Amino acid sequence: MIFTTLDVWRDEHVGWLVFDRPDRGNAMDATMLNDLEAAWQELDRDPEVRVIVNTGNGDAFQTGLDVAQLASDKDALREQSRRTKRAELKLTAWHNRVWKPVIAAVNGVCAGGGLHFVADADIVIASSSATFLDPHVSIGQVTASEAIALVRKSPMEAICRMAFMGRHERMSAERARELGILSEVVEPALLRDRARQLAATVARNSPAAMAATKRALWGALELGLTDACRAGAQELISMWGHPDQAEGPAAWAEKREPQWATTST
Amino acid sequence: MGGEARAAVGDYQHLIVERHGPVGWLINNRPEQLNAMNAHMRGEFADAWLELDADPDVRVIVHTGNGRAFQTGVDVAEIASDGVGMQRYRQSVEDFDLHFTSWHQHVWKPVITAVNGICAGGAFHWVADADIVICSSDAQFFDPHVSIGQVVSIEAIGLMRKMPVEAVMRMAFVGRHERMSAARAYELGMVSEVVDPPDRLRDRAQALGETIARNSPAAMAATKRALWGALEVGLTDACRAGAAELVSMWGHPDQAEGPAAFADKREPDWQRQESARR
Repeated sequence: MIFTTLDVWRDEHVGWLVFDRPDRGNAMDATMLNDLEAAWQELDRDPEVRVIVNTGNGDAFQTGLDVAQLASDKDALREQSRRTKRAELKLTAWHNRVWKPVIAAVNGVCAGGGLHFVADADIVIASSSATFLDPHVSIGQVTASEAIALVRKSPMEAICRMAFMGRHERMSAERARELGILSEVVEPALLRDRARQLAATVARNSPAAMAATKRALWGALELGLTDACRAGAQELISMWGHPDQAEGPAAWAEKREPQWATTST
Repeated sequence: MGGEARAAVGDYQHLIVERHGPVGWLINNRPEQLNAMNAHMRGEFADAWLELDADPDVRVIVHTGNGRAFQTGVDVAEIASDGVGMQRYRQSVEDFDLHFTSWHQHVWKPVITAVNGICAGGAFHWVADADIVICSSDAQFFDPHVSIGQVVSIEAIGLMRKMPVEAVMRMAFVGRHERMSAARAYELGMVSEVVDPPDRLRDRAQALGETIARNSPAAMAATKRALWGALEVGLTDACRAGAAELVSMWGHPDQAEGPAAFADKREPDWQRQESARR
């Protein structure tokens, strides 16, 4: 499928979902909001795609809702307003129940609603030029679900500080790495290469085992520890007897790459 | 170190259980197999935690390993070779009826995991379920489960409550193809201390254990119940349950002894905890 606001393609086992409104800081207008849902589903359905990289074209990674459109054409965003009210957003892999690993490669500024894509990724790397801020309260908006997810995943003070400093302060990529919001900072020119490399590495692992792992770990954010472990145990058992569980150790013993069963989630 | 003779200790094949002063030691001892856990060792863990927990002279427990690995998860050779595979664990996993960590065994004494060398896959159970984690400077952390077609679940779920999640997910999905260093584990707060050179790890763990043992055992048990219990529920409910643990110590002799010893500039003489078990 061709999208006007996203570049979406597959390269070997790696699916790419790239924000493509570079002259608007990759802000999400009504078209992009629709495109995102379709793009995640397309990549999720393709059994050749084992891991997805999410990045942006231009100087920005993602700067949230297109405020210009919000100001000029409220009707265009009516459907999204309804979804926001019902907590039924379909922006991210998590919203769209994509159980393939997702790597966010933050190529520049990541602001406001752009933080959804950091919060909802499994692995996050960033260019050394990336910055993080949450300007919601500076324009009279509330910060909610993206910060709520980040609070589950990273030290809370840093997230609260971003929420309350608004547009008046930016967090550097290096500080985000220190805090464990992301795991790697790369030279700007090398970001995509590194993302491709990392994705290719992840793609060497069993797709079925990764999908069950992802369900177990994200599901754990919903529950208390013991209940989460109980639910996680069911995901663990779900793989027992799967062909990948014989193939993995066999390939390891024979020092070759495993031939994983194809899977669709 | 040393101390008086104690009650008979269990006879273990794959673990070593020792006492040095107030510190109980649980040492993984299958160094040839990188301390991988076979079915027998799994049973021994259950007994060893209970033995140390029941001993009132043990106030804090250190868990480490012999050889170049701390632990490397389940013994894949046993799984692959005897035709039973993971099925032997099906019922216990299905019921989440596990007994190989201190958390599984409801041990309310402080537990220090001292990671020596390699810590892979299922080894994270003992990182996740310890109260304090230190490691040697040559420690390496990775989770190869998905690289051999296995799911990462319970140990990562525990870790995710205790440290930045992205790092846990990255280890889960990169599998055996990347290792986390001791320095990064320290930055992320997965461990609180990196001991260098590595051969000082046990001395440091003993010293840390002796420091912790200077605190009120009863207050530490209630504290541990409050903090681990908080991982089960929402914030307000956790504070409510924590308040009940707080109040449970009011009137305990340690609450008079603590301030008195402080005023007298002497070590407190804490009440012996015959059993912290509940």
